[in-house]
Amino acid sequence: MSDMRRKYCIVGVGETEYSRGSGRTTRAMATEAIRNAMNDAGLSPQDVDGMLSYHSGDSIPSTSVMYDLGLRLNFYMDCSGGGSSSEALIGLAMGAIEVGMCQTVAIFRSMNGYSQVRVGGTGSRAAAPVSGSDVEIRPYGMISPVQRFGFTFVRHMMEYGITGEQLAHIKAAHSNHASNNPKAIMKQRVTVEDVLNSRWIIRPCAHLLDCCLETDNATCIIVTSADRAKDLRKRPVHILGVQGRGTKPGGDFHYQHGPISRVAGYYVGPRVFELAGITHDDVDVTGCYDAFTYTALLQFEDYGWCKKGEGGEFVSSGVINLGGKRPNNTSGGHLCEGYTHGMNMVIENVRQLRGTVDDYCLQSQDGVHTYDYSEGKCRQVKDAEISMNMGWGTPAVGSALIMRR
Amino acid sequence: MPVYEYRGQRISISDDDTEYKGYFEAARDQRLVVKRCVDCGLLRGEPGPGCPWCTSLKWEWRQVSGKGTIYSYQVVAHTVLPGFRDWAPFPIVLVELDEQSGKPNPGDGLRITANLLDEHLSPEKEENVAIGSRVEVVFMEGEDGFFLPQFKLSGEAPQGQLWRYQT
Repeated sequence: MSDMRRKYCIVGVGETEYSRGSGRTTRAMATEAIRNAMNDAGLSPQDVDGMLSYHSGDSIPSTSVMYDLGLRLNFYMDCSGGGSSSEALIGLAMGAIEVGMCQTVAIFRSMNGYSQVRVGGTGSRAAAPVSGSDVEIRPYGMISPVQRFGFTFVRHMMEYGITGEQLAHIKAAHSNHASNNPKAIMKQRVTVEDVLNSRWIIRPCAHLLDCCLETDNATCIIVTSADRAKDLRKRPVHILGVQGRGTKPGGDFHYQHGPISRVAGYYVGPRVFELAGITHDDVDVTGCYDAFTYTALLQFEDYGWCKKGEGGEFVSSGVINLGGKRPNNTSGGHLCEGYTHGMNMVIENVRQLRGTVDDYCLQSQDGVHTYDYSEGKCRQVKDAEISMNMGWGTPAVGSALIMRR
Repeated sequence: MPVYEYRGQRISISDDDTEYKGYFEAARDQRLVVKRCVDCGLLRGEPGPGCPWCTSLKWEWRQVSGKGTIYSYQVVAHTVLPGFRDWAPFPIVLVELDEQSGKPNPGDGLRITANLLDEHLSPEKEENVAIGSRVEVVFMEGEDGFFLPQFKLSGEAPQGQLWRYQT
């Protein structure tokens, strides 16, 4: 395979307000997010000729929003998919450009994930008839993602002695980050005790504050070649390596293949590091999918940031906090900024690598930051050069993306 | 197409279903079944159309003992399903059946999801839910001929050391 390392860039990112009640359609939100990303890049409608989106029956197709923005596309595809699709579609966009199908691709995700179709299972999803493989679990009261992942989490607790207090450190860290993010839904800093004192969702692996925030939001990421990126408005962020939607054996969560405490990152990690030609030590900032505190912990272990079973100590050590060795989810992530099926974690890292994270520093857009990480201040990682995103679909499905400024 | 009402949910199993219909038909006869590959003979806990080990498309239903061990668990404290509110908190367990444990690869097993119930077919008390506990199948009768495989503690000595999270 030819070396893709310097060939493709993310040149524009954009989103709508992170809210719990958008009061508008996924079409209206997608149109705004794509427009924001085009403006961010300095692209006009005739410059964007590719579009990719993902959904789970809760969004609108590319053909609707292309009309709304006056685009004519040479290539588009709307995929079924949830978490970990962000990184995967960035890889597909590179492939589409590489073979000449199009030149510049807008990738979007639009979801009224709070006011319309809730991932947690309330509303329309709970009311629909139960069929297919759901008949194996729904009659037992299992519907929400945290329940579907729960067997993996609890088995991992048994095998490695992870505690609720250790998990709570992840939420506390991300909430500190969110307190410096004007966009975050939950900006309030919380402590380990706050997490442990929040009500149980499922015992013994998830309190309320271990769970992410269902959100109404649309997001967009624009990918083009490094050659075209040179002429655009913002400093391009180069894609070093991407590995989309890899699985573990029996890519499901039927739990037939052990160890069930192992997740897809075990397989995805070595591949993406090899593609990118870097090692863990080169990475300055991470975006580790935090649908739940436990999804982040499992991925830290299986991507090799610490030894298997030592994730509890790792997340409690301060490494993942702003000011620590390698901050994670500096926007607050899904736990605090809002749940977008992974897109906002990639967007945050693009801004980190540009040096223009939108924190409370007065000249943040000019790249001037105080690096004072106390509440209501800065969240820019100093001299961030390389980032890594770890997307989670299920325990068995994951994607990863490594970018360089 | 049979649609069964169960705890406020409509469970839909079509007449031409090839994965789950036989499973629920057997449950009506108080039998727990899994699919067996006719070619390589391996059982599979997830009743898909192909054999994960030899790709054969030939399969048959095979009755198993209904005995197993709790491999993982969770206790649902907050449910979004209205039909389960009177049960909460209730346990959901992942049961590893006795048949084919650790085969064909270490760590493999026939693992199925169920609730852990007591002798009255109510949710088992949380303090009795533990990894390693021995369990056996029971069949819970719903409406209109819907029977659901469930599990209860068998009273046998645990497999290995019992584990439950100490809060």
